[in-house]
Amino acid sequence: MRVDLTDSLSGLLPGEAFGHPVPSSLWAALRTGVETVVAPGSAEEVATLLKWASEMGVRVVPIGTGAHTYPRYPRDPFLVLTTSRLNEIQHYEPADLTMTASAGASIRDLSTATAIHGQWLPFDPPDVPNRTLGGLVATGLSGPLWAGYGQLRNHVLGATIVCGDGRALRLGGKVVKNVAGFDILKLMVGSRGELAVITSVTVRLFPLPVVDRLLVLEATDVSELVSTALAVATAPIMPASIILSATSDGGRLLVRLHGARVSVEADQKSLEKHTGVSLEVRNTPEAESLLVQERDSGINTELAVRVWALPSRIGMLLDVLKQVPGVRLNADVYGGSVRAYLPVNLSDIESILAGLQKDIEELGGTIRALRIPAEVNASSYFTKPLVDERELAAGLRRAFDPHAVLWGTQ
Amino acid sequence: MYRLLEKGDEEPVASLLTGKVSSGMTRRLPSTVVSDLAEIVGHEHVITDPDCLLVYESDGLTAYRRPPRAVVLPSSTEEISAVVGLLHSNGIEVIPRGAGTGLSGGALATPEGVIVGTARMNRILKIDVENRIAIAQPGVINARLTEATNPYGLYYAPDPSSQSACTLGGNVAENSGGPHCLKYGVTARYVTGLTVVLAGGRIVELGGVGRDPYTTLDLVGLFVGSEGCFGIATEIELRLLPITEGVRTLLGIFESVESAGRAVTKIIASGLMPAAVEIVDGPTIEAVEASVFAAGYPLEAGAALVIEFDGTDAGLDLDADRAEQCCLEEGAIEVQRATDPEHRTKLWRARKKAFGAMGRIAPDLLVQDATVPRTKLPEVLAGIDDIGNRYGLKIANVFHAGDGNLHPNILFDRQNQNELELVERASKEIMQLCVDAGGTITGEHGVGVDKRQYMTLVHGPAELEAMAAAKRVFDPDSLFNPGKVLPAVEVKGATDTAKILAIGE
Ligand SMILES: Cc1cc2nc3c(=O)[nH]c(=O)nc-3n(C[C@H](O)[C@H](O)[C@H](O)COP(=O)(O)OP(=O)(O)OC[C@H]3O[C@@H](n4cnc5c(N)ncnc54)[C@H](O)[C@@H]3O)c2cc1C
Repeated sequence: MRVDLTDSLSGLLPGEAFGHPVPSSLWAALRTGVETVVAPGSAEEVATLLKWASEMGVRVVPIGTGAHTYPRYPRDPFLVLTTSRLNEIQHYEPADLTMTASAGASIRDLSTATAIHGQWLPFDPPDVPNRTLGGLVATGLSGPLWAGYGQLRNHVLGATIVCGDGRALRLGGKVVKNVAGFDILKLMVGSRGELAVITSVTVRLFPLPVVDRLLVLEATDVSELVSTALAVATAPIMPASIILSATSDGGRLLVRLHGARVSVEADQKSLEKHTGVSLEVRNTPEAESLLVQERDSGINTELAVRVWALPSRIGMLLDVLKQVPGVRLNADVYGGSVRAYLPVNLSDIESILAGLQKDIEELGGTIRALRIPAEVNASSYFTKPLVDERELAAGLRRAFDPHAVLWGTQ
Repeated sequence: MYRLLEKGDEEPVASLLTGKVSSGMTRRLPSTVVSDLAEIVGHEHVITDPDCLLVYESDGLTAYRRPPRAVVLPSSTEEISAVVGLLHSNGIEVIPRGAGTGLSGGALATPEGVIVGTARMNRILKIDVENRIAIAQPGVINARLTEATNPYGLYYAPDPSSQSACTLGGNVAENSGGPHCLKYGVTARYVTGLTVVLAGGRIVELGGVGRDPYTTLDLVGLFVGSEGCFGIATEIELRLLPITEGVRTLLGIFESVESAGRAVTKIIASGLMPAAVEIVDGPTIEAVEASVFAAGYPLEAGAALVIEFDGTDAGLDLDADRAEQCCLEEGAIEVQRATDPEHRTKLWRARKKAFGAMGRIAPDLLVQDATVPRTKLPEVLAGIDDIGNRYGLKIANVFHAGDGNLHPNILFDRQNQNELELVERASKEIMQLCVDAGGTITGEHGVGVDKRQYMTLVHGPAELEAMAAAKRVFDPDSLFNPGKVLPAVEVKGATDTAKILAIGE
């Protein structure tokens, strides 16, 4: 960034806001180096920064730690705003099962605090412990546990945000039921930094399950796993999550049951009766490491996409995706989505992506980039929102970020 | 300074006191508009006869009344689109309406408005058993969806107490809850896709279960709870759940509502996940026991707590034992448990028949609605009691205690002008009390016209302007349900012309 710009900013914020290291993930994604990473120490400082950026025409890329940020490169002058210094628990009332924390607090730290009271945040997207609360909300990712607990969007009770032009807003509240006005809070979940910088979040917590049982089925024939997975998904009980992972060598079905011991046992019997398949119980700690392995195995992959369709079409989605050599797949069977990790060294990667898009959209599904190397021309191969949706979203973006200061990330 | 003036705000802000806001004559629709509407939906579905319009003069909150200029009853998305297009091109406001059971005056007509009702849009279009979703027209009655999906082992979870009358469209507009939303969540959790008709009649599809919800912003989530101010939902895609295997229902009788409240906190904090936790207080029990719905509750009871667990049968007795223990520790006089459906119905009776029973002890009832953090229930309930005593008003509480969602019901007599004023003042104090306790002014009934005046208790000018801006994206000229949700705000120092310019910006 130009020196005169940096100078004008340095007078506005305390010294602690500057001199932070550039997250390594950003170097690659941004192609060129990021010169300025600013870490405001309060919501007011976020507001000061964004007001300044609006006036100066500087773009701002909001990030948590940056570990899960894959921005494209803004052409205009830009800086990176990290919430890393906004990291305290502001309010935690265990008896209410609600917690308010600053956006930069890591899920790992929050989980440690809630575990003491037998509570947790039932969300398990990849690398969840290293995500920040604000980052989790901004990406909107719930992970496969939403089968049993519902999506993150239903458990975000409130947030404080700073809009692109520096307006600070308090959305929602601290209570579990709240319909006082239009639900603009929902817009923040999955907004990917396009509307506002989230500075704090109030979430609903859940009691930790007494028993967390993992059932596993392994097979070389993925279609066998698919039919069992679909039978599990339509059983009369509700598992906490249903995950199917696959490579060209076969795959694995993981079903997680939560509850009291007697009910988990009964659920397992009922699943076996319904599917006609005997699922193997994995004990902790082996179960835990297997779940973490399935959850996180792709986090260092450079090219990852998310594919989504009706849950009943999951088998067809997997059939399409399996054709890519070297691909690794992880499906959330309840939600109907698949994360696909693709090798980047494929010479014809762009034509592969184009082919996937065509096949998946023909199945009525969507394909979206989770991570793409800078060399791949991202805009072409992914499902666009419907025209009307795009127009409404653009209108909302103008309302929250009138000077288009915020640079949304993937 | 912010702009929130909308058409209709030149009217005095409706209040309980001004009661019947239908001052003066309702302006008739131009006959060309009437005949054009009839062309679209058929003569018999355009209501203009003043006597027939009286049916539509209020929703479930009868304190506010105003007949619309006309009521139109289309039968398809295309007809709604054509009707809205016609009305909007004539500058006529549209008020969407379902069954009219709303309790915040959301479906109240504006002085210039026409009601577009969904009564004829009552078909369930699809039940997809494999994917556990249903697509329904907005006029489908909530309970019917559960009836229709039961044969497939499925049901629709949100169960407002009005579920045998209210529509899915109304539920979407209000983001309605119900007793079992404690475990299962409110309407928003179940709406996966919508077809909506927006300003000018534009038909727009939002979301859909087979699409990645985050290819764009959560527009479905924003539309849910928009109280008819963004557009009309004309097709609703909803998630269904498998019917649970077992149910246990407990009824705990307590000496006071405060101790019942403490038992609620204890149950939730102990890590149990009940499907429903509802409180019925002493005055309500009295009313129910004096009515044809008498359930055999002890009359000296200060409160009754209905607790329900559902899920895999094997674990339920254990849960029920633990909840019973919590009740006893907080001083429950007795705890009953039901395992068979008949006994269950009996334990629920006081809760379900509360509103009907109250009708017998007072001519009018104002159903209030607010949420507080669960741990604040005992002190807030004591505060409400105090407010009732100070104003000499009878307040009966029947509510979703597990969610901290209060319904203080104020009993009064509309004919008594003095009492009306007290009701209004007591309501306001109750709202302030709940907000001070860290709560909010409505948990499920919405803002409508009734709570506009309280919006500033929980939102500042910037938040209200952000909501107004969101509405403008969907409805730039404020032709859908104007004068609802957002409070009327004077633009400081503005001349009348400037005020008018502020309209619809
Ligand atoms: C006895 C009783 C008990 C109740 N219990 C509960 C309860 O437990 N939980 C709860 O949440 N509520 C409860 N309610 C309130 C009410 O039933 C709900 O708000 C319900 O969702 C309203 O549905 P409706 O079809 O009657 O809508 P209406 O009253 O007709 O309309 C409500 C609002 O929705 C809008 N609207 C209607 N249809 C559409 C559409 N298709 N598209 C866009 N906007 C539309 C209207 O403009 C209006 O603003 C209760 C009401 C009564 C009378």
